[in-house]
Amino acid sequence: MDWQWAADHVDDFAEATRSHLYLALMPVLYGLLISIPLGLLCVRIPKLYPPVLGGANVIYALPGLALIVLLIDTTGFSNATIIIPLTLYTLVILIPNIVDGLRSVPEPVRQAATAMGFGELRRQIQVEFPIAIPYVMAGLRVATVSSISLVSIGVLIGDDFGGLGVFFIDGFQQDFMTPIIIGVVLSVALALLADALLVLAQRLLTPWSRTRRIRPLAQVERVEAGVSV
Amino acid sequence: MISFEHVTKRYPDGTVALDDLSLECPTGKTTVLVGTSGSGKTTAVRLINRMVEPTSGRILIDGTDVRSRPPEQLRRGIGYVIQQVGLFPHRTIADNIATVPYLLGWDKKKARAQAHELMERVGLDPAISGRYPYQLSGGQQQRVGVARALAADPPILLMDEPFSAVDPVVRSELQQEFMRLQADLDKTIVFVTHDVDEAIKLGDRVAVFRIGGHLVQVDTPERLLTAPADEFVERFLGYDRGFRRLSFIDAKSLPLSTPETLELTASAEQAKTVLGSGAPVLVVDDRRRPVGWLIRSRVARWPDQSALVAVGHTFRADADSVRAALDSAVLSPVGVAVGVDDEGVLTGAIAHDEIAEAIRPPSAEIGST
Repeated sequence: MDWQWAADHVDDFAEATRSHLYLALMPVLYGLLISIPLGLLCVRIPKLYPPVLGGANVIYALPGLALIVLLIDTTGFSNATIIIPLTLYTLVILIPNIVDGLRSVPEPVRQAATAMGFGELRRQIQVEFPIAIPYVMAGLRVATVSSISLVSIGVLIGDDFGGLGVFFIDGFQQDFMTPIIIGVVLSVALALLADALLVLAQRLLTPWSRTRRIRPLAQVERVEAGVSV
Repeated sequence: MISFEHVTKRYPDGTVALDDLSLECPTGKTTVLVGTSGSGKTTAVRLINRMVEPTSGRILIDGTDVRSRPPEQLRRGIGYVIQQVGLFPHRTIADNIATVPYLLGWDKKKARAQAHELMERVGLDPAISGRYPYQLSGGQQQRVGVARALAADPPILLMDEPFSAVDPVVRSELQQEFMRLQADLDKTIVFVTHDVDEAIKLGDRVAVFRIGGHLVQVDTPERLLTAPADEFVERFLGYDRGFRRLSFIDAKSLPLSTPETLELTASAEQAKTVLGSGAPVLVVDDRRRPVGWLIRSRVARWPDQSALVAVGHTFRADADSVRAALDSAVLSPVGVAVGVDDEGVLTGAIAHDEIAEAIRPPSAEIGST
């Protein structure tokens, strides 16, 4: 481990980390934007789900390298060439989670919502999707972590397209362990950090979740008893 | 008024949920649909808010076909309460209650204020308005369900077995609450239950359904108990319908007599004199409230109050039914029901054989059903 080298390249690591995050998170965002409407549609038209899920599986089965090579023809040497395959890979995780989440909505809740006068789309968005959030977040965590670890293959297109991956190639070509170790550590740290943030986000988004039954109840009662928390 | 006109609901697999139903649910009254499972009563209420569409026939609300309005708009004017409550787990109690006001586009402040007012109305502490449904007991959740249905003050309320999933004590509380609310609100209520007692307790009119979606009889609870239309209804009402019918006869109609009483302060001598005839004597306090019975075999222990036999429960001579009076007589250790007024002061007593005499049908009715 060459600490001096590491200290000299802090800026490079910072830049690569920033680009790594961008290349990993954009696919998750796009994946979510595609999966949510597809998931809602699959729940509304159950016949649609098997082909959609099958399609997502087939895409996931495509070798990443082949996909990238194919894309170079159309999107060239750009961020899109790595963002598109990673986006497609998130679908296989996000769609089933969204569908399962929406299907986890208890039938009486759905019925009550309909009977209160929700239209179908409004009911899906205001009632069913929020209730599905724990499932969606579980999918989002896996998709995010997997995307962060996959970004490095982008380095095959060019040094600028693989985030921290560039250090793996450099280190390998120069038979120099330091950049490889730092790259791996940073990549893992990013994944863990992103995961932790998502867990936190889920807690904030679902204060109603049963899984935290004991704490919130105790808090409510303390507040009611006039004790500040 | 809600009118069903020759409504039939047949599912694609051939099951008939409702068979040529014609029924009127009068405005401001509670119509209870009662029947075994599979008798179409739930289908009938769901036809009203178009959760189910009829195969043939029409459902009219005040003369207008329910299908003349878009379902969402129709439903916002019809409260709906179901057994499983179906509260939205991700919304606070206040927001759950304000669901329909929000859909109708009320401003948030007004909707919340309405939610708080309704919480008080259904017996919930507004302090819990910020909680989530999972933090409430089953009984509280059902109260929220009722408040949610009432939030936009709809003229019609559909209730599908709303109190079936809670324990008997809570159910009885909710039923009391329901009657109190309905006395205030005068909603047009269609209430589904499989529990005959509940139907009789809550309904202004009771419609009895039989498997296959046949309506067998619609009547007031009293008429239903007195004159069941056929053997099915009779069996459905249960073997104690004669006893239940007594709920509809005021205890006021009973000829109470003034029992022999003894003051708490009476001496042993006085007690012996009063008990001379052998019949039990009612001991009352200084305000003439019943304390207990003194019976002959125990008179020697008087004035020790442990000599007294408990009265059991008394009945309100001015407010209870004959059923309560008879129950009081049956449970009384000496076979005598003790009537009191609203302050617990003795107004009279009646033995169970005298009650039996009083409720014997006039000879003209003997032989008819």
